Amino acid sequence: MFEFLVYDARKRVRGSVYLSLGMAVLAAMVIWVYPSFSSSFEEDELLDAYPPQLIELFDVETMSSLEGFLAFELYVFGWVILLGLYLAYSAASVIAEDVDRGRLDTQLAMPVSRRRLLTERFVALGVPILTVNVVVPPVVLGGAVLIGESLSTVDVLALHLLSIPYLFACAGIGICCSVVFDRGGVAQRVALAGTFALFLIESMLEGTPYEILGAATPMRYFDPNEVLLEGTVDPVGVAVLVAMTLGLLVASQAWFVRKDV
Amino acid sequence: MAAIEIDGLTKDYGAVLAADDLSFTVDRGEIFGYLGPNGAGKTTTIRMLLGFIRPTAGTARILGTDIRDRDALVAVKRRLGYLSDEPGFDEEATGQEILDLHAAVKGDSRSEELLELFDPPLDRPIRDYSRGNVQKLGLVTTFMHDPELVILDEPTSGLDPLMRQRFAEFLREERAAGTTVFFSSHVLSEVRRLCDRAGIIRGGRLLTIEPIDALVNRSGKVVRLHAAAPIPRDVLDVEGVHDLQTTVGADPGDADATGIPTQDPEEADALPEGADAVPEEADAFTECAFTFTGDVNDLLPRLAEYDLRDLSIEEAPLEDVFMRFYGEETDV
Repeated sequence: MFEFLVYDARKRVRGSVYLSLGMAVLAAMVIWVYPSFSSSFEEDELLDAYPPQLIELFDVETMSSLEGFLAFELYVFGWVILLGLYLAYSAASVIAEDVDRGRLDTQLAMPVSRRRLLTERFVALGVPILTVNVVVPPVVLGGAVLIGESLSTVDVLALHLLSIPYLFACAGIGICCSVVFDRGGVAQRVALAGTFALFLIESMLEGTPYEILGAATPMRYFDPNEVLLEGTVDPVGVAVLVAMTLGLLVASQAWFVRKDV
Repeated sequence: MAAIEIDGLTKDYGAVLAADDLSFTVDRGEIFGYLGPNGAGKTTTIRMLLGFIRPTAGTARILGTDIRDRDALVAVKRRLGYLSDEPGFDEEATGQEILDLHAAVKGDSRSEELLELFDPPLDRPIRDYSRGNVQKLGLVTTFMHDPELVILDEPTSGLDPLMRQRFAEFLREERAAGTTVFFSSHVLSEVRRLCDRAGIIRGGRLLTIEPIDALVNRSGKVVRLHAAAPIPRDVLDVEGVHDLQTTVGADPGDADATGIPTQDPEEADALPEGADAVPEEADAFTECAFTFTGDVNDLLPRLAEYDLRDLSIEEAPLEDVFMRFYGEETDV
C-alpha cells in the first residue's frame, strides 16, 4: 500500500520547497512594504481611491491594519488565487499528462486499482499544500515582529490551517479535469480557467441576485479577512470544503474507473 | 486452463473497427506471436486484454479472469508482465527509482539477473535514456517479479542486433521455465524465429492461426539473382516460383567499338561478358527477382551450373505475404 503516494510525494518535495520559498518571499515583501504604506496614508484613504469593483473582486475590507493588508495582499492574492490556481494546475497533470505521454499503461499494468492509483497520487499533492503552510507562517509572524506590528499568532496559524482544505478542494477541480481530458495541456488549461472562473463567480456576483451561485465555489468557504480581522473560524465552511474535496475525488474515481485510457 | 482465451473480442471506435470478433486461445507454456502490419489492431487487442480499454463486444479471460472485471484483473496483474510498445516512464526519475517503485508494488525476485542481461544505465534519469535503454529497462520491469504470463508489444523495437539476440535466447529460456509469452510484432522473421504458433491480424480481423512451420512454408521468400551469363528462363520452371521478373543486364549493342561501355559504371558492371551470346530476351535473363514458396533444395541445384555474381534469399515483406495469401478480400 501507498507505494504511489510515497513515490509521488518524494517527487513533489523539491518543487514544493521552491514554491514555499517563493511564497515566503512574497510574504516578506508584503510585510516589508507595510510600514511605508501605512505611514503614507491615513486610515483607508488609498482604499477609497480604488475602484469599488476592484475592492469587491479582491474582497478588500481594510488596509489600515497589518491584518487587513496581509489578508488582501498576501492571502487573497497569494493563497486564494495563486496557490488555488497552482494546485488545480498541478492536479490536472496527474493522470492526463501520463495518458498523453504514454506512461499510464506501465502503471496500470501493475497490480494496482485505478481508484487506489488516483487517490494516492491525489493525496501526494498534500506535500506542496503542507510545505507552503509550514514554511510561510514563521516568516509572517517573524516579519510582523521585525516591523514592530502585533499580529495574532493563533489567527495566522488558523488561517494557514484553514487554507489546507481550500487548496485540496482546488486540487479536486484539477484532478477531475485530469481524468476527463486525455491531453495534459488541455486538462491544465481547463483547470486553470475553471478555477479562476469560480473565483470570479464568487467575488463578482456578491450582492447580486445570482449570489447563490457563489455557494458552489470553494472560495466562498475560505475567507482570509474573516479569520485575520474578526478572528472567527467557520467550521461549517471547513466541512463544506472537505465535502467538496471528497466529492470531487469520488467523482474523478468513478470517471477514471469507467474510462478507456 | 489456457493462459489467454479470447472470445469474440471486438472494439468498435465508430470510424474504425480496431478489433473485429477475435477468437483464439494461447496455451500455457507457449510463445505465441501476434503478427500484423502497423495499425492492424495488435495494440488494441493487448490493451483490451489488460483492461485499459473496454471491449465493445465479446470478452477474454487471462489466467482465468474475465477482463471485464477490472477489480479481479488487478490481482491477476501480480502474475503478469507487460511491456508496452512505447514504454513510458517518469522522465524525471532515474532507472533505479523506477525499479524501486516496481519492486515495491509487484515484488522483485530476479531483477539482479535481468540487469546483468539487459543492463540499462540505472543511475541516469530516464529523460537521458536512448530508445534502446528505455526498452531494456522495460524488459527488466516486465520480468522482475517472475510472471507466469508475459504480454509484450513489439518487444524488440529499439534494441540493437546484439540485444535482440540476447532477448531471443532469454525468451526461449523463459519458455523452458514454463512462462507463457504473448508477443506482437510486425516483423515476420522475428515471429518465426521465436514463436511456436502465430496468429495473423490485419484490419482488426484474425486471418489465420498457424503453427510456425506452416506459416514459414506459406510465407515465401524473395529471391534475387544476378548471373554473369544469361540463364534460360525455363530453369526457373520450379513449383513455388511466383511473380517472376527478369531482365537482361544490358543491350550488348550499346557497347561501342572500343569496347568501353557507354552506360554508367554500375550498369556496365552488370553487362554479361558473353553478351553477344544472349538468346531471345524473353527466353533468358541475367537478373531476376521472384517470390519463392517452394523448397530451396529444389531450386539451388538448378542454378548450380551457372556463374552467379550474386544471389539473395530474403524474408518476404509482411505486406507481400498478406497480399499473396489473403489478397483483396482482407483489404480493409
